[in-house]
Amino acid sequence: MDAARWTIEQVAAVAPTPRAIVAAEPLAVDARWSGLGCDARALWGRCRGGGAEPYEAMVDHVEVAWRCTCPSRTLPCKHALALMLIWVRGSVPESAPPARVTNWVDARNRRVERAPVPTASPGDREPAGPGTDPPAGLPAEPSDRDEIDRSRDERVARMMEGLTELDRWLEDRMRTGLADPALSSYTTWDSLAARLVDARVGSLANRVRRLAGLVGASPDWHADVLAELGMLHLIAQAGRRLQSLPGPLADAVATASGWQVRQADVLLGVPETDDWFVAGRSDVREDRIEVRRVWLRGIASGRWAMLLSFAAYRQTLDDSFGVGTVVRVDLHRYPGGSLRALAGRQHAEALPILIPPAALTIAEACDEIGSAIAAEPWLERFPATVRATSTIVDGRWVLGDQTGCLALLGSVRAVGTLAAATAGAQVTLTIEWTPHGVTPLTLHLPDRTLDVGPRADSSFIGAA
Amino acid sequence: MTILTIDGYWRDLVTAALLGTDRREPPVPPEGVLADLVADAVRPDAASRMLATVGAVAAAQRASFVPLPTADPLQPPETDSRPFCPPAATATWRTVAAYWSVLEDEWVLTVIERGYRLPPDVLVELLMRHRNDPVRRARIALAGGPLTGWLINQIPELAAIGGRIAAAEAVTALPELAIPPELSALVGTDPHTFTEQLMAGFRAGAYGAAHRAVLVNLLARCRPAVLVDAAKALTTFGYGQALALADLANLRHRMLTELGS
Repeated sequence: MDAARWTIEQVAAVAPTPRAIVAAEPLAVDARWSGLGCDARALWGRCRGGGAEPYEAMVDHVEVAWRCTCPSRTLPCKHALALMLIWVRGSVPESAPPARVTNWVDARNRRVERAPVPTASPGDREPAGPGTDPPAGLPAEPSDRDEIDRSRDERVARMMEGLTELDRWLEDRMRTGLADPALSSYTTWDSLAARLVDARVGSLANRVRRLAGLVGASPDWHADVLAELGMLHLIAQAGRRLQSLPGPLADAVATASGWQVRQADVLLGVPETDDWFVAGRSDVREDRIEVRRVWLRGIASGRWAMLLSFAAYRQTLDDSFGVGTVVRVDLHRYPGGSLRALAGRQHAEALPILIPPAALTIAEACDEIGSAIAAEPWLERFPATVRATSTIVDGRWVLGDQTGCLALLGSVRAVGTLAAATAGAQVTLTIEWTPHGVTPLTLHLPDRTLDVGPRADSSFIGAA
Repeated sequence: MTILTIDGYWRDLVTAALLGTDRREPPVPPEGVLADLVADAVRPDAASRMLATVGAVAAAQRASFVPLPTADPLQPPETDSRPFCPPAATATWRTVAAYWSVLEDEWVLTVIERGYRLPPDVLVELLMRHRNDPVRRARIALAGGPLTGWLINQIPELAAIGGRIAAAEAVTALPELAIPPELSALVGTDPHTFTEQLMAGFRAGAYGAAHRAVLVNLLARCRPAVLVDAAKALTTFGYGQALALADLANLRHRMLTELGS
């Protein structure tokens, strides 16, 4: 085994750039890894990043290939490089390979056996190793993994083109000004959104369509639109520098841009098991889809998470998490420590919450929300549970306490119910911050929970 | 840089953005972190410099999220010592409002009679639902207590449409429903007689689709004591219209039970 172990120079030789080794070094410590192991053919391990989901890396040190579940388009990625660095330092114990590694090695062996001509394919994304000749029997036809890698590379390239085009379009808006009559035409926005969809940055396309709705929507619409153009610019710039960003931030930017992660991959991540309090629900129509956000807060962890569900015309939104209940369930977060999560195994039936949740003052809520925005300035929504009353300032409804006020948004039904519930006194409620104000979602009264969040149009969906 | 200077600079940026950089140069950022950041982002033209500045200022503004100044709370309405009606009754009201609105008047009158008051969500929804019905609004005012008038004063969208006044006797009585003579005899009968005669009509095929409305009215006004037996018999009969009426009978029984009638 030791005789076959690489040298540090060999690892450096397979790194795509010298900077890749620099990026891998901080990850090459035992504390970041679990399930480390190696045998005569491969090494493997799970690398814990900033998010809940560890990346599964494996390296074939004989046939020289690598694989990792991270979204990086750099090959080998920093996780595979870090794994090799730990190995060359002798910190990877020998053990029997887990099934996922055996399957991967077997699949590679089968491809080698099938390949009729032992020549390297130009499309091969797994480069030859250090100090070795190209291994005999490299696949002449594209392997599944190659197809996946090529598809990912193409997708990243399209995404980069889309982000570049978005930034150019934004600069044009700065040049011609917000008074340009073209901005009042939905076509202007829709054609940009369509190009972003083509570039596979669907989240940005949705964001552009939402932005179109701000034009002329309020007396301050110029400021609102300008701020949102600034946010799009930040995402476009960050997206074009994805590789140089720290891991969790890169994941967050990729998610904000619309990088798709398979649900199956998310569900493979480490779960956050907790008693999750279903604090609020909010339905929003985005183009031709109703989007439901269900906000959960971990009773033990205090962390927020969000479950998303979608419904097209006459489809049904997920109502399996009832507002005001507590449910013990595994949540799997999307990469980057995202708020968005998927529900995994449910350990117990949902029960109504007996004690109202701990509530913040308005100032404390502002701190919490501001911290979240500082980490991800493009956030569009963030929840908080506060104790406050609704009141009127200069003819507008606000939510206030002894520490300050927040502008209230919401339908007559929501604001009216809040006013009726508070009637000049303070109540505990969950709100959803948006850049334009806060929307009341749930009133946590002593004997009942009132779900007052925006609700999907019942004539559009099958059931709300 | 203070928040105030960011806000002032933002206003300058909005003004410049309205005109566009073709007609106006972007404003120079105030000295401090922002100026350093914009200076670092060396851009080839005014538009891209402006865009970088807008992104930075918008992010800084959102992250420095602070509350507005404190405000006085609203003067509360007069106190109402009645409890809110139970949450289960509220859930039933939603079913009534969605599927069997013929029971709505009885639900509100029972709430009043049993000494409950309307919870905030139901109060608001009832005010929105009956903006031009003076009788029902008068009942809502009774069931909602002092909070009703207070709420309407705060939220004009909940005020009545038209200035009609309801007669006092109409407010406290259930509205009459159309029930033909051959069925009206059943309204005050005992459970056994009611169920036997109703089901005899079904078995004889006397009730077609045209009778649905009057049968609904009958089940909405019959004695509460007959509801359980009638629902069982209608369910056993298994015919489409009978099943719908069984649902109505069960719902009315549940509604009255939850409110303690």
